[in-house]
Amino acid sequence: MATARRNTSQRLTLVILILASITAITLDYRGPASQALTSVRNVARDAVAPVQRVLSEVFQPVGDFFAGAVNYGAVQADNAELRSQLGNLRRLALENQNAEQQLQQLLTVLKLPFLQNSTDVVANVISGPSSNFELTFEIDRGTADGVGSGMPVVSGAGLVGTVVSAGRSTSVVRLITDPRSRVGVRLPDGTIAVANGQGLGNLLTLSDVPASASVPRKGQLVVTSGLQGAAFPAGIPVGTVSSVKDRGGSLTQQITMKPVAQLTGLQYVAVVQWLPAA
Amino acid sequence: MAGVLTLRTWRRLFIVGVVIVVVQVGLLQQVTLANVHPDAFLLVAICAGLVAGPQAGAVVGFVTGLVADLFVVTPYGLSALCYVLVAFTVGQTAALPGGRAPHLFKVATAFLGSIGGTLLYLGLAILVGQPHLARAQLVDVLAVVSVANAVLAVPGVAVMRWAFSASAQQSRELATAGVSRG
Repeated sequence: MATARRNTSQRLTLVILILASITAITLDYRGPASQALTSVRNVARDAVAPVQRVLSEVFQPVGDFFAGAVNYGAVQADNAELRSQLGNLRRLALENQNAEQQLQQLLTVLKLPFLQNSTDVVANVISGPSSNFELTFEIDRGTADGVGSGMPVVSGAGLVGTVVSAGRSTSVVRLITDPRSRVGVRLPDGTIAVANGQGLGNLLTLSDVPASASVPRKGQLVVTSGLQGAAFPAGIPVGTVSSVKDRGGSLTQQITMKPVAQLTGLQYVAVVQWLPAA
Repeated sequence: MAGVLTLRTWRRLFIVGVVIVVVQVGLLQQVTLANVHPDAFLLVAICAGLVAGPQAGAVVGFVTGLVADLFVVTPYGLSALCYVLVAFTVGQTAALPGGRAPHLFKVATAFLGSIGGTLLYLGLAILVGQPHLARAQLVDVLAVVSVANAVLAVPGVAVMRWAFSASAQQSRELATAGVSRG
């Protein structure tokens, strides 16, 4: 008798908790409660941010140690490649000075927003994603610093992601490799396409590239398109063409792209204070 | 051990919760292997089921999930739903008599519970319209989370036993008071 009563009580508790969870999920999806929950989440993130900042400073070397231990071979190879790239980049930087001036003039004529016309906020990456199933990271800048939801986030090399949630002193950034990420891009020949995230470590795929467009070469740079209403200003480097497959008879080309920005082990990023025109 | 949630138990669970948030958000998220970090929130749900049984374990799992959901961008309540089911299942199938069992049993339960919990989370996420999560490096996530939680299972159970020992202590005190009044 007592066992039966206990079992009934246990099941009742389980059902109530499941219903409460489903109610919370439903409220988050619909109605004004969603905004309230977002505010609560931002407050919670802001509350633990000071602890995160301190522990991030302390444990960054520990994290780097583990990452280095697991990827030792890759780290060595990366080091060698980076040294070789550094030499090339120094030469290219000189060559690009002239090209940059020309590009600036062209973009001004076309009235496209350009990254250099926007101010940016340098931010420290204080945490990786809270869930292993998310491709996000947290930065120590929020609405108090002028950071807002939807703003692009860049590293020295190019586009890293977008701010998806901004609290007062912290923000969450979604990486461009997140499967929900869509970036409007322009190929070297001017063709407009969309770069889609396929998960961390995977290449970005380009959709909507017509078969009639000229086939890009491997290694060519792809930048944000900055079309009217686009989520990013024009000219931010996104990736380099990695492969082009001929899908014989298809109306579109199958192109993959490697992000130019290093998306793991980030420490500093810049939030571009730019929002798409309404 | 009695899975009773007295005020004193909640007080201790609050302390455990604050420590877990700091450990998870401040420390464990910095220490990643193959871009995957351990999941202390899931470990709390498993240990609560082990120590307090299905009913109290599910309640602790629910609260832990609501706290965990504050720090992710997936729908609020998803982790709560997952942890309720994990804690209840662990409590039903593997609750420790008196909260005590060989260390190997705790380690194995944490290992298997973490695998089950991670897969359940993914399944529930797909069910509530988050199919993109399925593209994560699932094998890496399963390996790191289950091994880390297995390693942390013994201290995790000890902490949870400390939290729930408050209810046992309070029951003893009430019983003693009842006897002396009688």
